[in-house]
Amino acid sequence: MGKLYKFLKYFFITFWAVFVVAPFLWALTTSFKDFNSVNGGATYIPWVDFEPKLEGWRVLIKSPANGGVDIIEPYFNSLFVTCTASLISIVLGTLSAYALSRFTFKAGFVKNNDITFFFISQRIMPPIVLSIPFFLFLGAINLLDSLIGLIVVYIVLLMPIAVWIMVDFFNKVPREIDETALIDGCNPYQAFFKVVLPNSIPGLIVAGMFCIIFGWIDFFFAFILTFTEVQLLPVKIVALNSSITPWWSLSASALVSVAPLIIVAFIVERYLSKGNLSGAIK
Amino acid sequence: MHSMKMEFYPLLLLEVLMSKIDLNNISHTYNPNDPEPTYALNPFSMTWENGKRYAILGPSGCGKTTMLNIVSGLVKPSAGSILFDDKDVTDLKTEDRNIAQVFQFPVIYNTMTVFENLAFPLLCRDFEKEKINERVNSVAETLNLQSFLKFPARKLTADQKQLISLGRGLVREDVAAVLMDEPLTVIDPDLKFRLRRKLKEINEEFKTTLVYVTHDQNEAMTFADNIIVMSDGEVVQAGTPKELFERPNTTFVGYFIGSPAMNLFETEASSNDCVKINGTLIKTNTNLSKLKDKKIKLGIRSEFINLAEDQKDNLLSVKVDKVEDLGNYKLLTAKMGELTIKSKINRETEVPSSDVKLHIPADKCCVYENEILI
Repeated sequence: MGKLYKFLKYFFITFWAVFVVAPFLWALTTSFKDFNSVNGGATYIPWVDFEPKLEGWRVLIKSPANGGVDIIEPYFNSLFVTCTASLISIVLGTLSAYALSRFTFKAGFVKNNDITFFFISQRIMPPIVLSIPFFLFLGAINLLDSLIGLIVVYIVLLMPIAVWIMVDFFNKVPREIDETALIDGCNPYQAFFKVVLPNSIPGLIVAGMFCIIFGWIDFFFAFILTFTEVQLLPVKIVALNSSITPWWSLSASALVSVAPLIIVAFIVERYLSKGNLSGAIK
Repeated sequence: MHSMKMEFYPLLLLEVLMSKIDLNNISHTYNPNDPEPTYALNPFSMTWENGKRYAILGPSGCGKTTMLNIVSGLVKPSAGSILFDDKDVTDLKTEDRNIAQVFQFPVIYNTMTVFENLAFPLLCRDFEKEKINERVNSVAETLNLQSFLKFPARKLTADQKQLISLGRGLVREDVAAVLMDEPLTVIDPDLKFRLRRKLKEINEEFKTTLVYVTHDQNEAMTFADNIIVMSDGEVVQAGTPKELFERPNTTFVGYFIGSPAMNLFETEASSNDCVKINGTLIKTNTNLSKLKDKKIKLGIRSEFINLAEDQKDNLLSVKVDKVEDLGNYKLLTAKMGELTIKSKINRETEVPSSDVKLHIPADKCCVYENEILI
């Protein structure tokens, strides 16, 4: 039983690892190929199967004037928009989630759960429904094709995620913690910042991770709400494609675009394995 | 367990400021806007003296926790006022009242060490660093937590965590009262006993007023100077354990306190001081002249009923149903027609197996009309 279990376990893990890593390896090798190597059948080992070239990577940083595509600016745009929108969403989302979890609101038939649902419902409708209102709205306030406009839109998209995760999280943090803090002499703000918030770091990390992921991978709104002034990475990468598919630079840009997410995953994983996420409460 | 050793007990000489707590006509409802609000707490008044131990006893959902939360300020009473040392604190916020509260489950600040946990109430009140060190160390010593001070609090066991909760209450010298809401629920029985002793010692040493909520009558009886019995949002009786035991105000108290519960017989007054139980006259010390032909109940503790020796009066002839040996006493269950009578008797006493006579002492009889003591 023990041996079989161990074998099956490692077999499955190995299988899954190959399944997950293979596309990355494919992208990595492809990014070092040129036109001939790509079209010369399936090859994998550099120097043996094909002659590695740096052209795919060079194109990414060369300016368009020199025949490059320059993804550096869109890259930092994306980083800036994602981080700013995530940060603001987390701050606002956490505050509203705490209020929704701890205080009772009532406006006619609208109660706490309805407000929470209102937040979540923003994510239930298909994004295409929102595209025209957003376009008109940003047009009206002159923020089309600007970073600020994108940040505003992304906050609308990301805050529901933060609220949703944090309401659930705060509901699991026993109310007695707040009450104890009050009894110990904190005012309600100190109780939140000194006691409840430090206890909620795991929830903040999860919420932050989701915000960053959803913000980073968004193509749809970045595509619709920007034209020439501002470009985000996903849009730029799609724009790389032409009649002759540049597999090498597409692969290279795909790799650099997932890199931040991999880094985030590693940080969170390290935090998870330290046991800080589990057992934080009780 | 190492942390629970209690042989060594340092005497801390502290000047303790405390206060008397008055509850005036307090009542509370959680749905004040309803046309017919239901009261979690019916109006009552009470005074908690300095440095005493109080137990609030009652079944779940009877308003015990509401009462505590009103005192600590977490709940604002719908009516009435609370006074600490004759100063009205009804509108004072929790953080401005000098109250410590320990909850049913240990509440600790997970992200802090044991030291930081204990120091937190003092930090919030801007104490000086030296003072904080001194206080935390002395409380840690009292609770045997010295060796854990640098540990992250979340790594401790449930009962150590509960000690921390308690310690946060004791670390402030000026605390008006430490309120405890069934604080020993999570702790195993053996340790419970020792912690209760410790609480008593702390009370005697620091003269801190302790208010202890529980649904366990044994806990209340062994712990408190005064017990407040509650039922359905009503303070039924407040008194010393002896008073509650011997003269329960209502049949509820008689039933709730004591094990087994008080013997209660439905009966009628047949003369000025006698009741008739299954045809036998039983004399009581209560004046029953106004209760002729009314439905009343006679209550008597099984502890006071004994096998008749040479008494002539107040005897009930009963059939022995069963005798259980419960270690330090025997529990005799007897039948008299439809009635069941329970009696606690000395474990050395031989009990005849069939018919016996039981003696009912007149001075221990309690007579109830409409479930209320006369």
